[in-house]
Amino acid sequence: MTPPLLELRGVRAGYGIIDVLHGVDLILEPGTVLALLGPNGAGKSTTLAVASGQIQPSGGQLLIGGREVNGAKPDALARAGVCLVPEGRGIFPNLTVAENVRMMTFSGTSYSDVSDRAYELFPRLGERRKQLAGTLSGGEQQMLAMARAMATNPALLMLDELSMGLAPIIVEELYGQVAQLAAGGLSILIVEQFAQTVLGVADSAAIMLHGRVTRTGPPAEIAEELTAAYLGIESGGPS
Amino acid sequence: MTFGRIRTSLLVAFGAALASLVILYWRYGADTEVSGEKIVIASVIGLATGSLYALSATGLVVVYTTTGMFNFAHGGIGVFCAFVYWEIVENADGLGLPPGLGLAVVVLLVAPLLGILIDLILMRRLRTAPLVVQLMVTVGLMVFLLTLANQIWQADQIRGVKPLIDRAEGFNIGISRVPYYRFANLVIAGVIAVFLRILLFRTRTGVAMRAVVDNRELTSLTGARPGLLSGFAWALGSSMAALAGILVAPDIEFNPANLNSLMLIVAISAAAFGQVRSLPLTVVGGLVIGLLESHYQQWISLGPDFTFANRAIAPIVLFLVVLALPQARLSVGRVSTNLRPIERTTRVWEGAFGAVALVVLAYVLAKGWFHFGVWDPGEWSSTGLNKGTSAMVLALIGLSLVPLTGWAGQVNFAPLAFAGFGAFLWLRLGLWFGLPDTGGTGNLVWLPLIGLLCAPLGALVAVFAARLSGLYLALSSLAFALIMANVVFPHPQVLPRVHTFQSLYLDVGFARQDFDTRFSFFMLLIVMFALGMFALIVLRRSRFGRRWVAMQDSQAAAATVGVNVVWTKVVVYATSASMAGMAGVFWATSLSSVDIRSFDLLAGLTIVLLMAAAGMSFPVAGLFLSFQVVFEGLAERLEQTENVEFLVWLLKDFFAKFGPGLLAIGMVVNQRGAIFEMGKGFAPILPWRRDAREELAAENARKRVTEVGGLGLTEPFTSEAIIALDTQLGIVDDVTPTAGYHHGVSRA
Repeated sequence: MTPPLLELRGVRAGYGIIDVLHGVDLILEPGTVLALLGPNGAGKSTTLAVASGQIQPSGGQLLIGGREVNGAKPDALARAGVCLVPEGRGIFPNLTVAENVRMMTFSGTSYSDVSDRAYELFPRLGERRKQLAGTLSGGEQQMLAMARAMATNPALLMLDELSMGLAPIIVEELYGQVAQLAAGGLSILIVEQFAQTVLGVADSAAIMLHGRVTRTGPPAEIAEELTAAYLGIESGGPS
Repeated sequence: MTFGRIRTSLLVAFGAALASLVILYWRYGADTEVSGEKIVIASVIGLATGSLYALSATGLVVVYTTTGMFNFAHGGIGVFCAFVYWEIVENADGLGLPPGLGLAVVVLLVAPLLGILIDLILMRRLRTAPLVVQLMVTVGLMVFLLTLANQIWQADQIRGVKPLIDRAEGFNIGISRVPYYRFANLVIAGVIAVFLRILLFRTRTGVAMRAVVDNRELTSLTGARPGLLSGFAWALGSSMAALAGILVAPDIEFNPANLNSLMLIVAISAAAFGQVRSLPLTVVGGLVIGLLESHYQQWISLGPDFTFANRAIAPIVLFLVVLALPQARLSVGRVSTNLRPIERTTRVWEGAFGAVALVVLAYVLAKGWFHFGVWDPGEWSSTGLNKGTSAMVLALIGLSLVPLTGWAGQVNFAPLAFAGFGAFLWLRLGLWFGLPDTGGTGNLVWLPLIGLLCAPLGALVAVFAARLSGLYLALSSLAFALIMANVVFPHPQVLPRVHTFQSLYLDVGFARQDFDTRFSFFMLLIVMFALGMFALIVLRRSRFGRRWVAMQDSQAAAATVGVNVVWTKVVVYATSASMAGMAGVFWATSLSSVDIRSFDLLAGLTIVLLMAAAGMSFPVAGLFLSFQVVFEGLAERLEQTENVEFLVWLLKDFFAKFGPGLLAIGMVVNQRGAIFEMGKGFAPILPWRRDAREELAAENARKRVTEVGGLGLTEPFTSEAIIALDTQLGIVDDVTPTAGYHHGVSRA
C-alpha cells in the first residue's frame, strides 16, 4: 500500500511559549485534494508552517511519503518537492517579476523551463517581467505566487488562503488553475477560511478548531457542518 | 517612493554641496590661480581617492542589501585586515610576503573568514532584533576590532603601507606628476563595481541574496539556503572592506582610529547617496565625496580656526543627502519577543529611595567608611576622586539618552554634541553677560538657564529628525556629531583651548556652597545624578513618558489615538538636549578645558554603547558608564599587591579596554540590557516586590511542566483519555480524533 503523501500524527507546535497546535492528525493521500477549513486562529496556517518545515513540531510526527521528516529545514523540504504558497502573496516585492521567476529554480527546474511555463500559464506576467513585483495588482501578485507552484512540478502543493483579498472573478480563475493541477494528479492541501469555492475542487475536507482537527469527511458532509463549527458548536457534542 | 524623486533629491543635495564650495571659494579662496592644469590634477586625485571611498561603500551596501543589517563595523573590519596585511607584508619581523600574495591572502582568505565568523556568531541571531540592538551590536563590534588592532599594533610605532605600484612610477600633467597606483585604484574600484552589479542582478545567487532581505521565510520556501547566502554576503562585504582598507592605507596616517573614521564615515556617506541600496549611486557618491575633498583642499583655505573642516565634508554630504530623502512613513509596531507578561514602571517612592541610597552609598564609599573584611580600601585618594568624577560626568550625559533613545526609540549618536553646546553656552554666558563669573567659576543657579537654552537646539534637531526614522535617523545624528566635532567645537571662539572651566559654586543669596574640592565636586555630581534619575522616574510615569513609549511602540497607533507625533518628538529631543547641555557644564568643568579630542567619535559612541548594553530604558543605566573607571581603579589598587599580575591584566587591559565593545556585542543574547536581567534576579529580594516573586514562581512552574515531558508526549494520550480530560476541564469543542492518537509512536 502506498503511504499517505503527507501525514501529521499528534503534532504539537506553537510560537515561543504559546502552543497553537494541540495534537493535529491529518492525512493527505497521493493524488488527492484536501481542504483544511476552520475559523480564524484555529491553527490552519501553523499546520502548514509545520508541514513545510518553517516551525519545528514540539511533539508528534510529521511524515512525508511515509518518512519521518521532523526537524527538516524548509529549504530542504522545498528542494524535495514540497511547495507552500504562503498567505498574503508569496512573492518578493522588491525583485522584478523575472527575478521572482528566477527564484523558482532552486527546487531543481531549469530557468528556461520555469519561465516558459510561468509566462505561458499567466501571459500577463510575461508582459510585466521587468516590473517590480510589489507594483503588480493583488491578483497578478497571487498569479506570480501560484506560478511557482505550477511551473516547478512539486510533489506536494500547499496553498494558504489563496482567495484572501482578491476579487471573486480572480479567485475563480485561480481555482480553475488549481483544478487543472489536481486533474494532473498533483496532491494539494488547501487552507481556506471561507469554504464554498474550495469545496468545489476538494476530494475531502477537514475542519480545524482550537488547534485540533475535529472532523474529516467528504466535502458535501463537511459543508453542512461548517456553520456550526465556525460558531464553535460541535455536532454531536454538547451545545 | 519613486526613484525619480530620490534622484531629484540627490541632485538638490549635490547642487547644495557644489554651491557651498563655490561660495566658500568666492569668500575664502586660497591664494592660488585657477588653471586648467590644477583643475585636472585635483580632479584626478579626487577621482582616485573617491574610487576607494566607493569601493568601501559598496561593501557596506552589499551587506545591507543582502542581509538587511547596517554594518557599523565595516570600517573596523577594513582596519583589522589592513593591519594584518601590514603584518604579513610590510613588517620587518613578519612573514615578508610579496604584496600581491599578501593582498590575496588577506582579501580572499582572512577577510572572508572574519566575515563568516561574524555572521555565524553574531548576525544570525540578530535578524529579528530591534534596529537599536542591531546597530549597537555592530558599533560594539567596531569598537572591539579597533581596540584589538590598537592592542596588537600599539600606536607607539610608526607604520606605513606602500602602494602596490611604486609611487615613483607615473606620468606628468603639465609639471605635476600623477602616480600610476592612483589609476590602478580607479580601475580596481570600477571592475569591482561592475562585478557586483553583475553578481547581484544577473546571477541566481545574487538574486537570491537580495530575495533574502525581501522575505527570508519565502526564500527558504523556494529551496534556496538563506543561511549560506547571508554568510556569503558577509564574506564578500568583509573582503571589500579589507581591499579598500589596504588600498587607502598608503595615502593616510596609518593608525586604526584614523583609518576607521576615514573608511566608515566616508563609506556611510557614499552609501547614503545610494540610499544604502543602489550600487551605481553609491559609486557616484564615493566619487563626489572624493572630488569635493580634493577640490576643497586645492582651492579653499579657511585658516587655522577651521583646521579640521575637511574632515566634515563627508558628514556634511551625509547630512544633506539624508535630509533630501523623502519623508519616512509612520512606523507600525511589531510585537516584541522579549516583553514580560507584566511590564512594571518604577514607582515614585522607589525612585526617591534609590536616589537617597545612591548619595549615601557614594558618600560612605568615598569617605572609606566601608571595610570589606580583610580589605580596608580607605578614603578615596585624589586620583580615585578624579576617576569617580569623570565617570559621573559620563553618567550625567548618558542620562540624557534615557528619554530619547530608551523610551522614545530615537537613536542618537550625538550626546556629546549636545553636551558641548551646553559647555559653550555656559562659557558664553560668562564672557558676554558675566553671569557665571569670568575665569570659569560659575554659580549653579544659572544651570537651569543652560537647560532652557539647549532645548531649542534639541527642538531644531527634532524638526529634521521628525522626517526620518530608524537607520537614517541614526546616520543623521552621527553626521551631526561629526560636523559639530570637526567644524564647530574646534573653533577658538566656541570653545577656547586654554583652561577655562575651573570650579562651580551655588549661591542663592542667603547661602553659598563651594564645590572647589575634589570631594565636594564628586558629591555634587552624585547628587545631580540622583536628582536626574529621580526626575526621569517621575517623568516616565507622566503623560509625556507614556507618549514617548507609545511612540516607540507604534507611531501609527500613537497618531490614531491623538498623539501629535512630531510635537512629541520635539519635546523629547528638547528634554534630552537640556539634560545633555546641563551635563556638559559639569563635563567641561571636570576636564577644565575641552578640545577636539574630547569630541572623538569613539568617546561619544562608548557612552551610547554602554548605556545600550546596560539597558537604555533604565535611568540607573548611567551608573554603568563608570564601568571602565571602576576596573581601572581596582587594577591600580591591586598593582601594589604581589602575585595578582594576571588579575591586574584582566581588569586593566582586558575588561577596561574591551569591555564596552564586548558588552554591546553581548546584546545579541541579552537585548534589553544588563539591568533588565539583573533586576529580574534582584527584585524578588525586595520585601515589597510580591509581583516579582510571583513572576519568578510562575516562570519556575512553567519550566517544571516542560520537564515532565509536555503532557502526553513521552506517554501519548489515548483518544479516550483526551475526551475524559476535556470533559473534566469543561472543554466542549472536542470529538474523537479521526486518525487516533497512536500508542508509543510519539517521540520524546
